[in-house]
Amino acid sequence: MVISMPTGNSIQSNTNIKLPLAFILYALAAFVISQIILLVNSDLLAMGQFRIPDIWMGAHFLLLGYAVMVAMGAMYQLVPVALLTSIWNQPFGYTQFAVTAIGVTAFSVMLGVAPNQALYGGLIAIAGVVMFVIQMGQTIRKQKNKNMMTWFILAAIISLSLTIAAGFLLAWNLSIGGIASHGTILSSHIAFGVAGWFTLLIFGFSYKLIPMFSLSHGYSMKWAKPAFITYLAGLVILISSFWTDNALLEMVGWFMLLAGFFFFILDVREILANRLKKKLDKPFSFSLVAIMNGLGVHVLAFAFSIFGIQEMTVWGWLIFLYVIGWILFSILGYLYKIVPFLWWTHKYAHRIGQEKVPTLKDMIDEKTSVILFTLFIISTAGLTASGLLQINTAVFLFQGLLALTSLFYVLSIIRVLTK
Amino acid sequence: MSLENKVGAALFEVIDPELGINIMDLGLIYEIEVDGQDNVKIVMTLTTPGCPMHDSIKAGVKRRVSQIEGVGNIDIDLVWEPAWNPSKMSDRAKERLGFA
Repeated sequence: MVISMPTGNSIQSNTNIKLPLAFILYALAAFVISQIILLVNSDLLAMGQFRIPDIWMGAHFLLLGYAVMVAMGAMYQLVPVALLTSIWNQPFGYTQFAVTAIGVTAFSVMLGVAPNQALYGGLIAIAGVVMFVIQMGQTIRKQKNKNMMTWFILAAIISLSLTIAAGFLLAWNLSIGGIASHGTILSSHIAFGVAGWFTLLIFGFSYKLIPMFSLSHGYSMKWAKPAFITYLAGLVILISSFWTDNALLEMVGWFMLLAGFFFFILDVREILANRLKKKLDKPFSFSLVAIMNGLGVHVLAFAFSIFGIQEMTVWGWLIFLYVIGWILFSILGYLYKIVPFLWWTHKYAHRIGQEKVPTLKDMIDEKTSVILFTLFIISTAGLTASGLLQINTAVFLFQGLLALTSLFYVLSIIRVLTK
Repeated sequence: MSLENKVGAALFEVIDPELGINIMDLGLIYEIEVDGQDNVKIVMTLTTPGCPMHDSIKAGVKRRVSQIEGVGNIDIDLVWEPAWNPSKMSDRAKERLGFA
């Protein structure tokens, strides 16, 4: 018997594509700008000097301007898909975009040119993030049946709030001063941002996107809960270790983060083992490579904590690898799926069934994507190795390659919008 | 050819844009019913709830069927039970996915 469930209208992703696209286009511009700033300052990178205004500017264009803005845009599109709930207030989303874009630009530029004024740009960026948190909080509140994806996304949003709170304290110190424990707040800011916000978000959405893109059925997600609890506990323990200056606690924190990441991979493995689409799309495969990079970075971090490695240069490059190899590579791969989908919906959705329309795969040039993704891997590996060995020329060359690849990547994404 | 068969044949031309395979071979169409007034009722599903192509595919089905001469009202019932599973695919679809 066919049981009719009139849920069709209630689960549709009815987000107007202009909203996610606005975030993504801003993010792509910020991505290229960040790479150019880092290229111009490659001599500082080579010396392992990350705590310099110009590097702050490049890093924040990269993390706030690119990664956070892409994540926000993608969430406007993917939250209805993953949580089966429509976005709470779309017009509010456009205002949130404008406020966040102005804030992030002002904040990043001020960090580079007038760090003592950065607080004021930061305040606008914070307003944008708070609006986003309200938007997503209200959307999640509307969701009828909460699932593990909900908890991952909720924890990621809370982590984003804490990242911003810690970032505000750092900006306050740069502008006004007077808050103690600047270094500890900085470490907490980075951990909440990269491990809390980005990693938990990617984990959560992966449980929807990986089965969807690989057409997987009959998997259990049995490790989702252990992965969530262990990773979150690891994050709390790691940040506690920063505040208590306890090496053992730090080691336990890294171990639990590694265990949580490993549990997540066990689920990914099962999802992929149950996939029907045997030949995966190349950009999607690149996002899967990013997962292995993430595991590698967690193994290294745990090993460094066991052997008591304290050098800031080593940890600086490890954070770089975490950001580029895991977070950015994941986003770069998924964007090759998300942007064609958005554009296809805009241009061809109303023609399906009426005339022959291209498939999503026709919207992208897969061969070019393979070249670009290979160059991303080579430049990131080369940059990290030459940075650790402090070979200035090689750092400049590999950062140049990374900047150039980023530019071509952005152009290849923009080309989708001409199809 | 009966109207049911005409509708079924027409739906082979509605392609899932993500997989590049038509929705009949994918097994997304559960039932096609035609009443005495040539009104058509289609019961269908998607490979996953919350599929972002939800609106596009459903509208595409309606658009394609409306092009068939003599069709009355078209009613599309999108259901999630019974859930789609790989066994509903044709051998041709399985082969295209590298599954067979």
